[in-house]
Amino acid sequence: MKALCWEGINDVRVQDVPDPQLLNDQDMILKVRLSTVCGSDLHLLTGHIPFMQAGDVIGHEFMGEVVEVGPGVTRHRPGDRVVVCSFIACGRCWYCRNELYSLCDNTNTNPAITQHLWGADPGGIFGYSHAMGGFRGSHAEYVRVPFADHTAIPIPEAVDDMSALFTSDSAATGWMGADLGGVKQGDVVAVWGAGAVGQMAARAAQLLGAERVLLIDRFDYRLRQAESVFGVETINYAETSVGDALLEATGGRGPDVCIEAVGCEAHSTGPQYVYDQVKSKLKLETDRPIAVREAIYNCRKGGSVFVLGVFTGVVDKFPLGALMNKGLTVRGAQQHGQRYIPMLLDRIASGDLATNHLATHVMPLSEGARGYELFKKKEDECVRSVFRL
Amino acid sequence: MNTAGKAFLAAGVVTVAAVARRRRRTPAVQQADRWLVVTVNRSPDDVQSSLPDDLARWRDQIEISIRPATGDKGTELRAKPAGEVSHDDVRLALRKAKAVLEAGEVIQPDTAPTHPGPMGKVLQRVTSRAGGGGRL
Repeated sequence: MKALCWEGINDVRVQDVPDPQLLNDQDMILKVRLSTVCGSDLHLLTGHIPFMQAGDVIGHEFMGEVVEVGPGVTRHRPGDRVVVCSFIACGRCWYCRNELYSLCDNTNTNPAITQHLWGADPGGIFGYSHAMGGFRGSHAEYVRVPFADHTAIPIPEAVDDMSALFTSDSAATGWMGADLGGVKQGDVVAVWGAGAVGQMAARAAQLLGAERVLLIDRFDYRLRQAESVFGVETINYAETSVGDALLEATGGRGPDVCIEAVGCEAHSTGPQYVYDQVKSKLKLETDRPIAVREAIYNCRKGGSVFVLGVFTGVVDKFPLGALMNKGLTVRGAQQHGQRYIPMLLDRIASGDLATNHLATHVMPLSEGARGYELFKKKEDECVRSVFRL
Repeated sequence: MNTAGKAFLAAGVVTVAAVARRRRRTPAVQQADRWLVVTVNRSPDDVQSSLPDDLARWRDQIEISIRPATGDKGTELRAKPAGEVSHDDVRLALRKAKAVLEAGEVIQPDTAPTHPGPMGKVLQRVTSRAGGGGRL
């Protein structure tokens, strides 16, 4: 079959790879219909996450049709249309039972790597390096879905393929940031990053009762899109002081909840950007936490900061003093998608939540390399490239 | 060496150094004596009555202890090597036993890429042993 493979830094190509097989009783094989790029893939492309092998199939946000199920699969059968959570979950360990699905104890086949790096191993994820299990990704004609009963979710008839696609990761991740960030009725919420995850976090905050939602980015086309689709307020940090704008918008208090949806390769306009670039080039820090610093600094006293962006290691100039002295709550997580996807699909069906505007560039898999190039360089007002198979 | 190679090498060195540092800090006697433990989200009776083969086959070479976990988190399944069996073998057996008891089977890794390249081959050697490494 054809698949989009990582072949080296900034080198992805469509290759012929062997068809996936059922390897466990609880596996199923999915014919992929739609698979989208994600901002976190860029960390693989740039070599920021180094546990990749040439020939690894990438992609983790997808939906499709079931073509084969193992004898242990009871909730799906061939012909079913499903969305697949990017994180694989066994559904029965303590973490899964407590709806912390991305922390599943039984799905990372290489636990030693992340246990040494982070003290414990999170669950496995499709197409996201051998540190996260080495599972083949979704930019392919077919993909094996382990623990299919707990990893795949049926799509209601009223939801079209494209809308369902984004519940696989970006909508679920965004919702989790607002939910676990503790957004309440009447809150002011600031979201850093107007990509798909940031937009979904902003919409989730609205639906959870926030009175004002401010979305921060440097790309006007993304901010305009979020304004027009969701009616959020926007701040372009290349033109406006974020701190001043947030103080003005909140009566001098700062946002109640700050959600970071940028990740470890953040950009900025100030000298701290140069500082972080130098530090990371010299390997004195692994990640650039610019948006996290801003979120902590600007959050109101006693407020909450949620880190959604992907980080890999250690950072410098972490504002621990602000965190402690302002009495902040800081949390973060990879997405617990199984907890949110059914609800998100229902909200799409009822018209509460729009997602398909994120698919700005739809193309065949054969144009996968171009799709990543557009996405990475933010060319042609790209928000997400989506591969149709 | 290209940039990718350097990145792989740096990551490998960091991980190996972290393991070596941890091992240097841990006295050998303490390492050999301590229990390796997983918490299984099943009752102690369930664990006792259906100990999976992966662990049961070592029974004459390891000590096994089963006790309730705190906070209603299931059962602590503890093992200590007493014979020739290595810590890595016991760690792997504990992980497999936990997976079978909780999820019914041990998830199998996907097939490796056909052309991993030199650095990918190094990574394949690391991951082939990753199931028995790490922290328990």
